[in-house]
Amino acid sequence: MVRDMTGDAFEAIVAAHHAEIHRYLVRATSRPGDADDLSQETFVRAYKAYRALPPDANVRAWLFAIATNLSRNHYRAEGRRRQAMAAMAGGFTEQSASWPEGEAIANQASVRVDRLVATLPFKQRAAFTMRKVHELDYDAIGQSLECSAESARAHVFQALRKIRQGLDDLDVVHTER
Amino acid sequence: MNAIPTCREVEPDLVAVAAGEAGAAATQGVERHVAICRSCRDELGRYRVLEGMVSDLRRAPMPGADPTLARAELESRLADIRSRMITYGIYSSPLGRILIARSELGVSMVRYVDSDAAARAHLKRLAGDEAVEDEAAVEPVYRELLDYLSARETRLSWSLDLRWAGSDFQRRVLAVTAQLPYGAVASYGGIAKRIGAPGSVRAVAQALRHNPLPIVIPCHRVIGSTGALTGYAGTRIGLKKRLLSLEGVPVGTHASRIDRNSMYVWISPDKEYCVPSCGSLPEMPLAQLTLFGSREHAEAVGLSPCSSCRPDLHPLPA
Repeated sequence: MVRDMTGDAFEAIVAAHHAEIHRYLVRATSRPGDADDLSQETFVRAYKAYRALPPDANVRAWLFAIATNLSRNHYRAEGRRRQAMAAMAGGFTEQSASWPEGEAIANQASVRVDRLVATLPFKQRAAFTMRKVHELDYDAIGQSLECSAESARAHVFQALRKIRQGLDDLDVVHTER
Repeated sequence: MNAIPTCREVEPDLVAVAAGEAGAAATQGVERHVAICRSCRDELGRYRVLEGMVSDLRRAPMPGADPTLARAELESRLADIRSRMITYGIYSSPLGRILIARSELGVSMVRYVDSDAAARAHLKRLAGDEAVEDEAAVEPVYRELLDYLSARETRLSWSLDLRWAGSDFQRRVLAVTAQLPYGAVASYGGIAKRIGAPGSVRAVAQALRHNPLPIVIPCHRVIGSTGALTGYAGTRIGLKKRLLSLEGVPVGTHASRIDRNSMYVWISPDKEYCVPSCGSLPEMPLAQLTLFGSREHAEAVGLSPCSSCRPDLHPLPA
């Protein structure tokens, strides 16, 4: 079977997945501007490779894998820049994030979680976002991160653990009613 | 009965239970552990709260994450890539191996191939990474070409992409050549005259020598001023002969020359065609004439038999 290479077929893929991949990349790179560039790059690469993709492939998981790969390389470069800047500034402090104190700030809870997500190492951050926000299965996450499904699960676990520790001030009994 | 797992052992399962991902055995282990361990029970509660916050991440719009602009830029990049992208295949044909390449605009190259590898390298030089070999994608074009080469079809009504026509001059030459009817020939001088540059015979020959779309743009229908079948795609005069005889143009079996005395004659833009001896035709230079191998092909383009020489009543010997 030959893939339909007319504009329409790929157009439908862009329409179905671009917004989600963009949202994923905002978290994976922690910068909306970078997500703009990398989401474009993801689909440009996908377009070039689409012809060779088996007809039964999971297009969504495949797009996440491309996006993850791009953001990992991007993150490495970004990490070096940050380290250099931190060295110049004599170290930098992460923004503090704590457990929310009541339901009135329930909306802000997700903002705090997001801040903590941004401080995670790349693999944990990507695995957490793919699993918890985009609900991909561990096989797909493993393929994106070039590791086993079990390692993918472990990355998500570590991420949750760190986020929980980051929010540790919460009085659970008080919040859980 | 299994031992109750320790706090350390149970932590990954606590997370899994909170996320609703734990299997029966893990769930049971967690239940038995938290029944006796207050701190892990609290821990499980915290993970459940966290799961609730995380599910907010799925629902809440992301601040500062508007994909609209990125999407618009992406669409224009894709359109640009699509317009540059070339797909091609190399096929067997009655005329030997042939490369056919196309873009979204149309067919951009037809090329006689001695070596597939050299042909791929040639296309790579022209198109770079935008050239993708995909026989199946170009197959319909190839099928039409086969129909044409076996005379089942007399027209190739493809849209063409002239990206590899080098100059404006060459484009003009190709455009005029493309209008030569099936089964007809004209001279290089005739093409030069039609583009309004009668002195440019050699440049016309040169432009046709580098025709990126032979067969489709029928440079095989252009001959020397003496009727000689001069060069075609390098030294492939044999192919020129085959293409012309396919169209019913009488080409000598030995001499590579067309005898204008065995061809019907048309002077554009007349509405009639003649036998070659009509009136002053024998004295006219070939550059002013278009020659048809058969009445059928002359009449196929809407010409009528001349009312004085009556080719319909006195046809040329077959």
